[in-house]
Amino acid sequence: MYIRKHSVNRPPTPDEDVTESPERDELTLGEIINIKLVESGEKENLMELVRDRLVESGWKDEMRIACREHVKKKGRKDVTVDELIRAITPKGRASVPDAVKEELLDRIQNFIRSAAL
Amino acid sequence: MSNAEDNKSSHDQLSSQVFLDLVDSVIADVASECHRVARLGLDRDLEVVEEELRLSVEARAKVADPSNNLETNTKYVVDIFGQSHPPVATEVFNCMNCGRQIVAGRFAPHLERCMGKGRKARAKATRSTTASQNRNSRRSTSDNNQLASGPPGFEENVRRA
Repeated sequence: MYIRKHSVNRPPTPDEDVTESPERDELTLGEIINIKLVESGEKENLMELVRDRLVESGWKDEMRIACREHVKKKGRKDVTVDELIRAITPKGRASVPDAVKEELLDRIQNFIRSAAL
Repeated sequence: MSNAEDNKSSHDQLSSQVFLDLVDSVIADVASECHRVARLGLDRDLEVVEEELRLSVEARAKVADPSNNLETNTKYVVDIFGQSHPPVATEVFNCMNCGRQIVAGRFAPHLERCMGKGRKARAKATRSTTASQNRNSRRSTSDNNQLASGPPGFEENVRRA
């Protein structure tokens, strides 16, 4: 079940550190989960689910308005994608509807549990 | 017991991380889309569309508002440009067949009679023209013939007038 490419030396307690550590040849739990999500196709399903929910709840429209505000301030020609992302991410993360967040977390947790980790 | 709790909290953290990752992706999509619109100047059109949307929302609110005096508006439909049309078109113009001044709302019935397309109109017209043609064929006066073989509506209109 584990990836055969790298030797997975599991520490006694699960490693929450998701930041990459290229010197050590081991995958963090977060990375393993991510790989499993992608390989099973569940990541794509989740992405689609998130997108649908966020659109229908009006979250995407709110974000687009926020972007337009930012563009108006900074001027159309000067704005960069990174800048926009940085500008709206805090608000975006905070304004996800609770129901959507719960639904997604539920599915993710089910996946993690069923991946027998 | 603590192990299970640890597991659970780490699971929660992991799932939160995955969730945030997904949300960040969607945010990046939105930002990229808006960036493109901004740089291409496509939001100029968007502003116009927004204005129209706002106007339509206002219009809808006005219609839905019970305190408005609705009696004045029940007969007139307001279209998306805010213009109101009377149920029967009131513009007057000249019929291209007979040259008379016709109210637009009455143009279709007029044309039926004018061009002899309707049931009764044609029946009357043929009756009048064939009858008068038969009557006039014996005579050699050109005036009468012209009268008889003119536009069928003429006889009709004369009769009606």
